[in-house]
Amino acid sequence: MSEPDSPVGRRGGKIDGLPKITGAARFTDDLTLPGMLHGAFNRSPHAHARILSIDVSAALALPGVYAVLTGADLPTPYGVIPVAQDEHALAVGKVLFIGDEVAAVAAVDQETARRAAALIRVEYEPLEGVFTIEDALNPDKPLLHDERRRKGDTNVLRRVFQKYGDPAAGFAEADVIIESNYDYPGSTHVPLETQVALAQPHPDGKLTLWSSTQIPHYLHRIVSKVLGMREQDVRVIKPDVGAGYGGKSDPFANELCAAALARKTGRPVKFILDREEVFYAHRGRHPTRMTLKMGVTNDGRITAADFKAWAAGGAYASYGVVTAYYFGVFLPLPYKLDHWQFESHRCYTNHPPCGPKRGHGAIQPRFALELHLDKLANAIGMSPDALRLKNCVEPDTETSNGLRITSVALKECVDKVLAASGYLEKRGKLGPNRGIGLATSAYMCGALHPIVQSEMPQSAVQICADRSGRVSILSGTADIGQGSNHMLAAIVAGRLGIPETDCVVLEADTGLTPVDLGSYSSRVTFFAGNAAKMAADQLYAVMRAAAAEKLGGEDVVMLGGKVFRESAPEKALDFAEAVQLAEERHGTLGFVGHYKPPKIGNRFRRQSVGPSPAYSFTAQVAEVVVDPETGFVTVERIWAAHDCGKALNPTIVEGQIEGCVYMGVGEALAEEQSYTKHGLHRAPSILEYKIPTVFETPEIITIIVESNDKEGPFGAKEAGEGPQLSTVPAIANAIFDACGVWMNEAPFTPDRVLKAIERRDREARRASFDGA
Amino acid sequence: MLPLPTFSVLSPRAVSDAAQMLTDHPQARLIAGGTDLLPSMKYGLFTPPTLIRLGGVSALQEISVTEAGGLRIGAGVTLRAVGRDVRVLSLYPALAAATRTIATSTIQAMGTLGGNLMLDTRCAWYNQSTFWRGALGGCLKCHSAPEGAICHVAPKGKGCYAAHSADTAPGLLLYDAEVELVSTRGARRVAVAALYGDDGRDWIRRAPDELLTAVILPPPPAGRVVHRKLRARGSIDYPLLLTAAAFDPDRGPRVVVSSVGPRPVELGGVAEAWEAGGVEAVAEAAYKQVSPLSTHVWPAPWRKKMVRVEVRRALEAAISGV
Amino acid sequence: MPTEPDDDLVLTLRVNGDRRRLLIPANRTLLNLLRQDLGLTGSKHGCDVGDCGACTVLVNGAPRLSCITLAAEAQDAELLTVEGVAVGGALHPIQAAFHEQVAAQCGYCTPGFVMALKALFDERPDPTDAELNEVLGANICRCTGYTKILAAARQARERMNGRST
Ligand SMILES: Cc1cc2nc3c(=O)[nH]c(=O)nc-3n(C[C@H](O)[C@H](O)[C@H](O)COP(=O)(O)OP(=O)(O)OC[C@H]3O[C@@H](n4cnc5c(N)ncnc54)[C@H](O)[C@@H]3O)c2cc1C
Ligand code: SF4
Ligand code: FES
Ligand code: FES
Repeated sequence: MSEPDSPVGRRGGKIDGLPKITGAARFTDDLTLPGMLHGAFNRSPHAHARILSIDVSAALALPGVYAVLTGADLPTPYGVIPVAQDEHALAVGKVLFIGDEVAAVAAVDQETARRAAALIRVEYEPLEGVFTIEDALNPDKPLLHDERRRKGDTNVLRRVFQKYGDPAAGFAEADVIIESNYDYPGSTHVPLETQVALAQPHPDGKLTLWSSTQIPHYLHRIVSKVLGMREQDVRVIKPDVGAGYGGKSDPFANELCAAALARKTGRPVKFILDREEVFYAHRGRHPTRMTLKMGVTNDGRITAADFKAWAAGGAYASYGVVTAYYFGVFLPLPYKLDHWQFESHRCYTNHPPCGPKRGHGAIQPRFALELHLDKLANAIGMSPDALRLKNCVEPDTETSNGLRITSVALKECVDKVLAASGYLEKRGKLGPNRGIGLATSAYMCGALHPIVQSEMPQSAVQICADRSGRVSILSGTADIGQGSNHMLAAIVAGRLGIPETDCVVLEADTGLTPVDLGSYSSRVTFFAGNAAKMAADQLYAVMRAAAAEKLGGEDVVMLGGKVFRESAPEKALDFAEAVQLAEERHGTLGFVGHYKPPKIGNRFRRQSVGPSPAYSFTAQVAEVVVDPETGFVTVERIWAAHDCGKALNPTIVEGQIEGCVYMGVGEALAEEQSYTKHGLHRAPSILEYKIPTVFETPEIITIIVESNDKEGPFGAKEAGEGPQLSTVPAIANAIFDACGVWMNEAPFTPDRVLKAIERRDREARRASFDGA
Repeated sequence: MLPLPTFSVLSPRAVSDAAQMLTDHPQARLIAGGTDLLPSMKYGLFTPPTLIRLGGVSALQEISVTEAGGLRIGAGVTLRAVGRDVRVLSLYPALAAATRTIATSTIQAMGTLGGNLMLDTRCAWYNQSTFWRGALGGCLKCHSAPEGAICHVAPKGKGCYAAHSADTAPGLLLYDAEVELVSTRGARRVAVAALYGDDGRDWIRRAPDELLTAVILPPPPAGRVVHRKLRARGSIDYPLLLTAAAFDPDRGPRVVVSSVGPRPVELGGVAEAWEAGGVEAVAEAAYKQVSPLSTHVWPAPWRKKMVRVEVRRALEAAISGV
Repeated sequence: MPTEPDDDLVLTLRVNGDRRRLLIPANRTLLNLLRQDLGLTGSKHGCDVGDCGACTVLVNGAPRLSCITLAAEAQDAELLTVEGVAVGGALHPIQAAFHEQVAAQCGYCTPGFVMALKALFDERPDPTDAELNEVLGANICRCTGYTKILAAARQARERMNGRST
């Protein structure tokens, strides 16, 4: 569909790339308003305690302090998920983790606000903490959310059990059954920009809130709700955002308190989190304990699976209900599996709350399953790639749990990644302590069913062609660095045959742009892209008709900024001329497009979480070196082949794949939210929370595979999350190839790897002793 | 952003002025590159009323050859300048190597050699924000710890075991380097080996009114000195374990281990172990002598195992360089 | 020479070529001086304690983490921030390469990388890959996996040395 000189598929710079390189970009903390005050929090030093009293008098008495808020001022509970409204802007009655927000101050500058916050006296009655999965499942432990109490209740937020086919019969068919336990750590996003909000009250009672959010729409709804305002009186604007990776999907206390303090003082309030506070705001990966049992026939057919997962989710629900479903729903994909079941538990603990992080809910089961496949392949003497290919889902099929599968280029991904990496020649032959590993995966392109049930579109785009030849695109999407502004421009420009730089994108302003559900679950390209395409199609039709009349023939094309008849290309109109012609005929050229996912019938009514209009597929190979004396793992190279449907801009798609692999490498090697036995975060800094530097980052070789999805805009699917799923298990499988140890527990820190190697040697010694 | 406490600043131009200011303002702290001091102050670890800036004292920024044929390196020379100096590179390669493993290339361009030798001891329970330490209940090293605060590394003890983390110290110790300390009372020299004490709160044997002016290196030893740093990542990170080994074919090996307690420790019994069983025996002796504590986020038992590995690797490299 | 400590100081310096004279409190960091006093918000803060490199600026040509540098250190100095790198509106080759390679995703780390690389290229016009890596290792990027940043740095090197890419 795309033409040779079309913006669709063109490499290189983003339409909005330059300001970020010259320093002109405006992130929220770069905005200043006259008379602006600054916010600061008083936070809980206890993991679990009842608040007996709060004395704010000393804080209020400090010169320069304008207002102090406590939980009593903002009593309305909220949460992104309708069934889990368990958060408050500031603690009400109880604090649930070390770092929980208790009070908020607005003062003339940050120093004063912080000093005042430290002067607030809070009297606590400490309660027993719930720190482990065992604690959370134990009915004798106190409940974090005691308003939920019923007899026998535990701190389980959500248990999900689903069963497909006949697992018992499936296991009976198997020649080999393996069962293992797996542990995946909690990890956090560490976007380089911390959360920042700036609220401005208006004399007419309205409010504008600028924030580093990745979902302006939910923030809009929840700010209105918590402040008791009409939604039409609240305007949320997302300026440039220093990335999110899922970590800026929830409404945060600093946003709500900036708004409330601005209303209370009548002055603009900026509220910024420092780096340590971002570790408390968290919403990252759930630390998850898993058991997986799988059966396979000797010729490599997977016959059955039984999966259990327990996640210690921290103090609040966040998106945790969804996490509990994702754990199971995406377990088999990208493989065919007829007989299987899963049971998952998402628990509350007295830690910073977990939530959605890149590859939400799918990373942990993928880790377990991809390791498990290599174990099974080993057991039946089959090559790991062959086992995967044998069970791979086919295009235009339905999975046993009712997911509609359309475009699939997984086989191509596997072939390409094997060829590029030399996997088949290298596996088992790289010599001691060097190894190679493979993993594959699939991920969603947005959710069929919105979080808040409705029949309204999930994305909408408005475009307007100006007589100058410029096309403006208004969209509620949130570009947080992934390049969605460029994507929208490429789609519209691609349809109209103009350079994408002739488009202007105005995004993420709930006062101006049509609603879009935001940047999560890899939905933006598919959903907003289709909405943009729909708007552009209408403009295209009107312009084409006007041009056909003028040029005297129907074979009109729009290409390279010109509008002409294919049969007479020498008589071309400039795009701007064609706009003017169309405007004369049609009136002002404004069009809206929207996207509502197709109604896909599902045999399983309960399956409302997980189905997507399309799925992306990934295959990755990792090559590692293990130092058997220290346990250090060096990931030298990762080859990543990703079926993104269609690369609207290959440079940006590569960047997304590279970013995913990078984040996976961090989770594989060292990243871990670790807490003291009192629930205190052990390493809330970039110095001690070990995200990879350039030296730990492997060479990443990306291979883009295009399956041209029938329903995706120009065939596009997603690239922002899916590629992360394969990285950690590919590394784990490579470690096995290198030194014969299965790393069932991530991250693969030197300490863990060395212990595994020592265990291997002990067992070998025992075996040779027994044998002798 | 994290505010700095309020303080005033003094900007001397000569060593004598700086010494006088230190005498006149006993609560003042010296600031060189600021790469240790300012993060610590942002975390509220201390709140000096006055900072004396050494950046303007040009006499501290010189490297010169001594009469003895060694080098005198001013305390204010940046780590980057030390690491690139051709004389340092040829005579004291382990020092150059150590500077290049510190933090990041940008911090190496800011931080000084003097600041590195004066680097505060570090601990996972201490190098944290005011809020964090408050939630923990503080510890013995905190200047305003509440009554009853304990050491979280050795709860029953009375001492502080915060880890010496200066990368240049172990190598300088094996080069038999000295530092020059200047106050209004005069100048004195102290061997790097004698500069540090055994408690993480009071780890440096420098009088409060003294200024470190230079590191003086004697002519290099006959054999080779090797610096090794164990760290989590290839840049940014402080050491998990520092090892320096020297090998002089006539006098045998010497080994220093650091980042395991408040001072770098030259291991005892190395000559005997070497005689008895070579490199492996020295590594084993090191393993027996050195017990890292939970002063770091990464686990102490693993760091203990690493003592053996790192000492062996350092010594092998020192020997192979002869 | 004053021997009584100053709570406030008069700072004279040149920022991106412009002469400036300001009265500031002694505890002002260079980053706050730039962002708050001078309105130059291009320099970013990712950690505020020296861990991430987002605040890197050049003081007399040398890279400095402005979040842990006292503004007082810039007395009489020549300061360069990301806003001053494109001269006369023309992108510096490092910036052009960053754009072409899409080395800025969210762009929050970008000013720090541009400045650290600028310091390197000013000093060593044709750095080795290892030297490039050493400079990239001073800064954190959470979006790109450094892959496109390294590609951009290499491309800038090749172009600046008259080799085609
Ligand atoms: C992210 C990060 C990572 C780091 N990693 C490492 C690392 O891996 N290894 C390492 O060794 N260091 C590391 N450091 C610490 C620091 O950068 C270096 O130790 C540096 O050499 C300190 O020098 P400075 O000039 O910046 O010291 P400053 O911060 O200026 O001073 C440090 C201390 O020494 C005192 N002081 C300074 N000069 C003198 C003098 N002339 N006489 C007497 N006292 C003086 C100061 O009062 C202060 O107490 C790291 C720092 C950061 C921010
Ligand atoms: S060793 Fe003990 S006393 Fe010293 S800093 Fe660490 S916890 Fe505090
Ligand atoms: S903000 Fe200065 S190093 Fe991170
Ligand atoms: S581009 Fe986002 S942190 Fe580097």
